[in-house]
Amino acid sequence: MTAAMIVAGVVIFLLLAVPLIVQVITAFRGPFLPFGVASAQWGVSNFVTLWELREDFWSVLGATGAFVGGSTLLSLLMAFGLAWVTVRTDFPFRRVIGVLVIVPYIIPPIVKAQAYLLMVSPETGVLNQLLRLLPWTGDVPIDPYAFGTLILIQALTNVTFPYLMIVPILTNMDGSLEESARASGASWGETLRRVTLPMLWPGLLGVAVLTFILGLGSLEVPLLFGQESGRSIFALKLWTLISSNAGELPQYGLAAAWGLVFLVITTIAFAVYLRATRNAERRASVSGKGFRPTTMKLGAWRIPVAIGVAIFILLTAVLPLFALFWAAITPYPIAFSFTALVEQTQFGSFAAVLADGEFWASLGRTLVIAGGSATIACVAATVLAYGIARSTSTWWTRAVDLFASSSVAIPATIAGFAMFLLFMVINPVIPIAGTVLALVIAYSYRVSIAYRASYSATLQIRTELEEAALTSGASRLATFRRVIAPLLLPTVLAVWIQVFILGTNEFTLPAFLATPESRPLSMYVYAMINPRSAQLYAPDQGAAMALVFTLLVFLIGYGLQWAVSLRAIGRAKRRPGLPGLGSRSGKPPVAPAPDTISIAAQEHQEHRARTKLRTPDAAGSERSVSRS
Amino acid sequence: MTTQTTDAQRGGGLLVVENLQKHYELDGAEVPVVKGVDFTIEPGTFYSLLGPSGCGKTTTLRCVAGLETSNGGSIRLDGDVLSTGDRHVPPNKRDVGMVFQNYAIWPHMTVFQNAVFPLQVSGGRLPKAQARKRAMEALELVQLDHLAERPATALSGGQQQRLALARALAHRPRLLLLDEPLSNLDAKLRDTMRTELRSLQRSLGISALYVTHDQSEALSMSDRVAVMNGGRIVQEASPRELYDRPADRFVADFVGRVNMIPAVVRDRDEHGDAVVEAFGTRMVTPCPGGVVRGEEVTITFRPESIRWHETAPADRPNVLPARVVRVEFLGEIVEYEAEVLHGGTTVGRLTARGAPMASPREGAEVFLELAPHACRVLVDDPVG
Ligand SMILES: Nc1ncnc2c1ncn2[C@@H]1O[C@H](COP(=O)(O)OP(=O)(O)OP(=O)(O)O)[C@@H](O)[C@H]1O
Ligand SMILES: [Mg+2]
Repeated sequence: MTAAMIVAGVVIFLLLAVPLIVQVITAFRGPFLPFGVASAQWGVSNFVTLWELREDFWSVLGATGAFVGGSTLLSLLMAFGLAWVTVRTDFPFRRVIGVLVIVPYIIPPIVKAQAYLLMVSPETGVLNQLLRLLPWTGDVPIDPYAFGTLILIQALTNVTFPYLMIVPILTNMDGSLEESARASGASWGETLRRVTLPMLWPGLLGVAVLTFILGLGSLEVPLLFGQESGRSIFALKLWTLISSNAGELPQYGLAAAWGLVFLVITTIAFAVYLRATRNAERRASVSGKGFRPTTMKLGAWRIPVAIGVAIFILLTAVLPLFALFWAAITPYPIAFSFTALVEQTQFGSFAAVLADGEFWASLGRTLVIAGGSATIACVAATVLAYGIARSTSTWWTRAVDLFASSSVAIPATIAGFAMFLLFMVINPVIPIAGTVLALVIAYSYRVSIAYRASYSATLQIRTELEEAALTSGASRLATFRRVIAPLLLPTVLAVWIQVFILGTNEFTLPAFLATPESRPLSMYVYAMINPRSAQLYAPDQGAAMALVFTLLVFLIGYGLQWAVSLRAIGRAKRRPGLPGLGSRSGKPPVAPAPDTISIAAQEHQEHRARTKLRTPDAAGSERSVSRS
Repeated sequence: MTTQTTDAQRGGGLLVVENLQKHYELDGAEVPVVKGVDFTIEPGTFYSLLGPSGCGKTTTLRCVAGLETSNGGSIRLDGDVLSTGDRHVPPNKRDVGMVFQNYAIWPHMTVFQNAVFPLQVSGGRLPKAQARKRAMEALELVQLDHLAERPATALSGGQQQRLALARALAHRPRLLLLDEPLSNLDAKLRDTMRTELRSLQRSLGISALYVTHDQSEALSMSDRVAVMNGGRIVQEASPRELYDRPADRFVADFVGRVNMIPAVVRDRDEHGDAVVEAFGTRMVTPCPGGVVRGEEVTITFRPESIRWHETAPADRPNVLPARVVRVEFLGEIVEYEAEVLHGGTTVGRLTARGAPMASPREGAEVFLELAPHACRVLVDDPVG
C-alpha cells in the first residue's frame, strides 16, 4: 500500500514538478536549451533581455491583463446572473435553461473560437448580418479584430466553466440566513447586497481565480483573433517565441523567462484562491438543517431576464453551431441568404471529412491520448489521495496535498511549454518529443482534478468501514480492494470521463507539443481553418470537421456517462436504501456528473465531509453529503 | 459441563492488559489519553469499560483491536503478545471481532456478503462452501438469515446492528470488542438488543470487551465493570459491588444517582459501624476501618434506598424530618426532592426515588428513613 502511494506520488511529481523545474533552469541557462548545447551557461541574460525589451514586456503584460482580466470579469458576471436565474428564481423553464446553458461546454474551445471567427466576419458573419438589421448600427457592427471583441469572445468561450462552479455554491447556500434578512425587512436587492454576496464572496473569489488561470492558459481565441488584432497576449507571445523563424534558433531561454514571470503571477493568484476557499470553509453557511435556498419571485423582471437569457443562448449555442453549419455547406465564405441556401449549398464537405484518412487517424490519436492520460491521472491521483486523506495531518502530508492540487494553478500554456522543454532536454536519452506518448504524459498534468475529487470522495468514506474490514481479518490491500475501491469507483469513473472529455477538447497543450504525425483532432481542425497552412487550408471542410468533432465528443463523453449512470442505477435498484435507516455509515459518494464537477463544489463537499469526520458521534451531523 | 468446555474453547480468550499507555500528538504536543490501564478479562466473561465522555474508553478498545498503536504497556490474548510499547500485531492478525458504534456495514455488499467477508480474507479464509455455511450460521444467530440476499443498506437500524454483530462473530474470534454498539438505537430496541447480545455472548462463551457511557447498560450486561476516568481505571468490580460499594465519590456519582452528605464521625464500634452527625442528627452507618472519631467524611446513599413515612416511625434509626419540594413523575418511578428540616430550618436537600403508587405530595411534610445498610462512608475525596 505504501509502495503504491510512493509510486503515485512520484508519478505526480514527474508530471507537475519536473517540467516546471526544467523551465526554471532554462530561464537561467539560456539562450537555447539548458543542456546538451555548447552555448548553454548559467546566468540571468534572459531576464536582461526581457528587461531590455521592457516596452514589449509592459505591453504584453497590459494586454494580457486587460484580455484575461476583462474576459474573466465579464464571464463571471454572465455566469452569476445565469446561475442565479436557474437556481434562485421562479423563472419558467429554468430547468431547460440550465441544460441549454451547458451546451457550449461540450463544444471544444477551438471549435468555439472558430465559430465566433465565422460569426463576426465583417461581410459574411451571421452575427454582423443580424446586427445590421438594427437601425442604428453601421456597416460592420462588430469588428472581429477589435480588442473589445476579443475580450467578449473569450468571455463567451469560457463562461460555462464559472457557471458550473457557481451553481453549486448558490444551491448549497443556507436559505434561512437570507430569509431572516427578508424577515427583518430587507428587500431582495438589499438582501443580495448585504447578506448574500458577503457570504458568497470568498467562494466567488475562488471561482474568479480559477477562471483567470483558465483564461491565461487558453490559446484558442488569441491564436485565431489576436494575431490580427496587433495586441500581444501572453499565450500567443509564448507560442510565437518557440516557433522558430527561418534561420534563427528559437529563443527558449527568453520564453522560459516569460513563463516564469507568469508562473509567479498565477502562484500569487492561487495563494489568493487557497485563502479564499479556506475562508469560504469557515464562512460556509452549510448548517445541514433547513437546507432549502429560497427562490426569488421575478414578477415584471421576467421579460428582461428572458430576453437576456435568449441572447445568451443565441450567442453561445445557436449562432455558433449555425455559423459552423453554414460554413460547412457553402464552398467559400458567403453571407447567409435564401438564394445562397438554394443555389450554393452542398454537402460534399461532410463526405470529404469522412473519406479523409487523416481525420480518422487524428481521431484515433485523440482517443488514445485522452484515454491514456485520463487513466494515468485517475489511477495515480486516487492512490495518492486515498493515502493522504487517510494519514494523520502533518506538514509533510499537507505539502503533498497542496502539491498534488497545484495543477489548477498552472495555466495550460505554461504546462505545455514546460513539457515541451522537458521533452527537448531528455530527447537525446529518451526520444519521445513530439510523439503521441509525449502528449499522453503532457495531458496527464491535469491530475489535480482527479486528485481533489478522489480526496473528497475518500473523506466521505468513514474510516470505520475500513477498520471493520481490518478487524475482520482483511489485510490493508484486501481492505482497499474489497471495501475502498468499490466505494470510490463511481467518483473515479466520473472523473475519468471528465478528464477524458477535457483531453479530447484540449488545444493549448498539443499546440505546443504535437507534430503533424502526432496531432490530435483539435489540431487537425485548426490546420484546416488556418490560412497559413497552405496545402491543408479548407475552411468548409474545417467547419464540417468541427461539427463532426463536436458530435463525437458529445456522443463519446455522454455515452460513457450514460453507461456509468446505467450501472449506478442498476446498483441503486439492488440497493433500495431506506432513507433515514439506510447506510448512514457509508453511503457511496454519488458520482457527480462530469460536467457538473467543479473544484469549488468539491472543496465544498470536502468541507462538509471533514466537518462530519470531526464530530463522528454527533448523529445530527451525519446527514448525507451526497446532496451537493 | 462438557458444553461449557467446548464453548470456552471455541470462543473464550483470556485478555490481559498491563499498564496500557496511549497519547495523541496534537500540534506537536503529546496529549496523554490512556494513562496506565490494567485489566484482565477471564475467558467467557463480559467485561465493560464504563466512563464519562472523553475518558479514553474508545482509545483503550482501539488499542486492543490494534487500530491504534499503544505507546506503552502490553496487551496479551491467550498468552500471545498483541502489543508491547514498540511491537504491534496488525489488527487483521489479532483474531478479534469488532462491532462499531455506527455499525460500519459495507453499503456496496449484501447482507450475506457482509457476513461472509471475514471468512474470505486472509485472516480466516475458508473453502467456499464452508465459508457460506459459517456465514449463514452467524446470520442465524442474529436472526437475519432470511434477509441474507438483501442489500445491506435496506436494513433497519436494529438489523444493521445485528448484522454488524454477525460479521464480528463469523470468523469465531476469541474476543469480541464492542464500542457503544447500542447508542444509535431507540430506547425500546436498546433494551431488547441488550438482552439478546448478552444471551448470545453467554451461549457462545466468547469473551467480550464492551465500551459504554451508559451505566445501566454496563450494570445489566456485565460480569465485571471497570469505571474509567481521565484515562485511568478508578474501580473494577462486579456490577452489584460497584453499585453497593463505590470506591470514591466519582464512582458513586457516576454509577447511578447518589446523595452525598458531609458528616462528622462521632463514635464507632468494633463491628465496623459508626455514628456520624449529619444534618444535625446522629445517624448509624457502616464504616470502613481506619476512620477515627472526629474525622470529617462523606456519607452516600442511593435515592432509591430512601423510604418515606407520614408519621415518624418509632424505634428506627436514621429518620429525618423533611418537606417535599418537588415531585417528578418519570414513568416507572417517581423522583422527589426534599428539604431536610432541623429545628424548623432547612439544613440540606436530598433526592429520593420510589414507586409511583405511593409518592408524597409536593409540599407535604414527611419523615425520610435511610436504612443504615444502604449508607456508605467515603473518606477519600479524589474528585471533589
Ligand atoms: N486523534 C486524536 N487526537 C487527539 N486527541 C484525541 C484523538 N482521538 C481522541 N482524542 C482525545 O482522547 C480522549 C479520549 O478519547 P476517546 O475517544 O477514547 O473517549 P471515549 O471515552 O470513548 O469518549 P466517548 O464516550 O465520548 O466516546 C478525548 O479527550 C479525545 O479528545
Ligand atoms: Mg468513544
